Amino acid sequence: MAIELANIRFHYSKRPNHRVLDIPAWSLDAGEKGFVHGPSGGGKSTLLGLLSGLISPVEGQVTVLGERLDTMNSRQRDQFRAASIGYVFQQFNLMPYLNATDNLLLATRFSKRKNTRALNNEIKDLFSALNITEKEWSVPTRDLSIGQQQRIAIARALINKPKLLIADEPTSSLDKANRDAFMELLMPMVAEHQMTLLFVSHDLSLSSYFSRVESLDDFNHLQVSK
Amino acid sequence: MLGKLAIQSLWDRKGSVVLSLMAMTVSIFVLLAVENIRHQTKENFSNTVSGVDLIVGARTGSLNLLLYSVFRIGNPTNNIHWQTYEDIASSEQVKWAIPISLGDSHKGYRVMGTSKDYFQHFSYGKQHDLEFAKGQAFDQVFDLVLGAEVAKKLGYQLGDKIVLAHGVAAISFSMHDDRPFTVVGILKPTGTPVDQTLHVSLQGIEAIHIDWQQGVKIANSGLSQADLEKANLQPKSITAFMLGLKSKIATFHVQRAINNYAPEPVVAILPGVALSELWRMIAVLENTLLLVSALVFIAACLGVSAMLLASIRERRREIQLLRIMGAPPMVLFLLIELEALIITLVSCVLGAGLLTACLATLKDYFASQYGLHIEINLFTQNSMYLLAAVVSASVVVAVVPSLSGYRKARAK
Repeated sequence: MAIELANIRFHYSKRPNHRVLDIPAWSLDAGEKGFVHGPSGGGKSTLLGLLSGLISPVEGQVTVLGERLDTMNSRQRDQFRAASIGYVFQQFNLMPYLNATDNLLLATRFSKRKNTRALNNEIKDLFSALNITEKEWSVPTRDLSIGQQQRIAIARALINKPKLLIADEPTSSLDKANRDAFMELLMPMVAEHQMTLLFVSHDLSLSSYFSRVESLDDFNHLQVSK
Repeated sequence: MLGKLAIQSLWDRKGSVVLSLMAMTVSIFVLLAVENIRHQTKENFSNTVSGVDLIVGARTGSLNLLLYSVFRIGNPTNNIHWQTYEDIASSEQVKWAIPISLGDSHKGYRVMGTSKDYFQHFSYGKQHDLEFAKGQAFDQVFDLVLGAEVAKKLGYQLGDKIVLAHGVAAISFSMHDDRPFTVVGILKPTGTPVDQTLHVSLQGIEAIHIDWQQGVKIANSGLSQADLEKANLQPKSITAFMLGLKSKIATFHVQRAINNYAPEPVVAILPGVALSELWRMIAVLENTLLLVSALVFIAACLGVSAMLLASIRERRREIQLLRIMGAPPMVLFLLIELEALIITLVSCVLGAGLLTACLATLKDYFASQYGLHIEINLFTQNSMYLLAAVVSASVVVAVVPSLSGYRKARAK
């Protein structure tokens, strides 16, 4: 089991009466490609925050890759996230003033990997697998197109060989052609690295790429006040 | 990697960073300049006189005596009799004695009557003797030796004739124009009031005043230069004198003996003690300057912190990205501290470089205008302490934006 949630309740401390998540039970198998959709403001980002250990639940158990995140301290969660979770945002996945290589090296710094020749080769391999040409390696990433940036973002998320890849609306800033190109690069990479993928989006047209498709509302039992 | 990130991030925001950097550079420049000039002035100041064990004059405050005998500032309260000088100078513990007679001037520069011993025994700085750039010490009654600055400013050469003025005002209406002196020697620069002094023999002083009474020229006595040179020109009184003793241990003993000298009320001072007393008074001003420059620096520090604090708001997403890559909130704290540190260190280098350039350019100007001889050495212990304090202060002040970055990183 890659992800296992039990009796999760969450609200932000500033708004104690506004519950965002109420998940009795939800899980994702190892190697599964899960797609979760739902409207904006529906708690998708909060769910991903819980799974990546950026936030802790008010109640309940969060188990990711066999580790209980809710019992770890924040330092342990940071280390766990650096080493085991890859994350791709909708945008701003890269330090805009660093070039592609430095962005990847920065990501390896927090997982405590040494800057070796092997690592540099890995970066090059990853770039070529993601169709990132040599010319794009040394340019500040802000000077690249959004499509190029998102491809480097995948490389950045994969460089530490995470077991779990979380993608938070990574294609929402892309046009259809770039979106398809992105998905066609991402999915084989996930398969090749035998990762579990949790993909969150409001764009249902992407659901064909996934083995499991769910709406957040299906397992997040909020009493919606209308 | 964190260092690289900090540098690249600063470079990315060069607009505001460069302005903060400039403010910081200027403030460090001012701080170092004040400290350096302060240090040099003090050095120069305490180097004004050395090797002189006691200065003796008519009874007055020790500062007043020091000021008029060494710095040629202010006026003596009274003269002392030649007999007193001879009595004390001939006492057993005294190795040498230099009489000083003040009261005349030339174009604002003081004239000092003394003996040839002055050029032999008087020293300044770390036991530097007076040296001649040209010519030699006075020999004849109407011979004159110029300090380096007087010669340079007024453009005098050996053999020039100079008329002295009675009194010490820059513009004098009573001139000793009937008795001109001839320049026979020019001293090398010393960086002390010696440079601004014209030296003549005591006999010379006596000779030009021979037909004066109560500070007024009575009438031309009809005596020729040649007559005067032959006449008995033993001075009746002098202003002060300097003593070198055979044994330093005897200094206090001799001082006490002079202070109790019965025939005339005189006072003996230790130049070192009087100098440090005087310095303590001046130091108040120097410390005020240093305080003001420290405040300027604190302002610059706050400016840098304000800039960093403002940047945190626009870097919200950077912080989010670093967090998702596994950076603990402490990394954000360190990153912003590091940025402040880089700005400070670069400013230190720029400030020190700027000061060195300025001092190198203005070195000659200071020497000629203020008689202040500056060594370009910023790496004194005090400057190092100052720079260490600068760096520490900036790190402390940067805690404010760093903490804000830390908090931002913790909050989801």
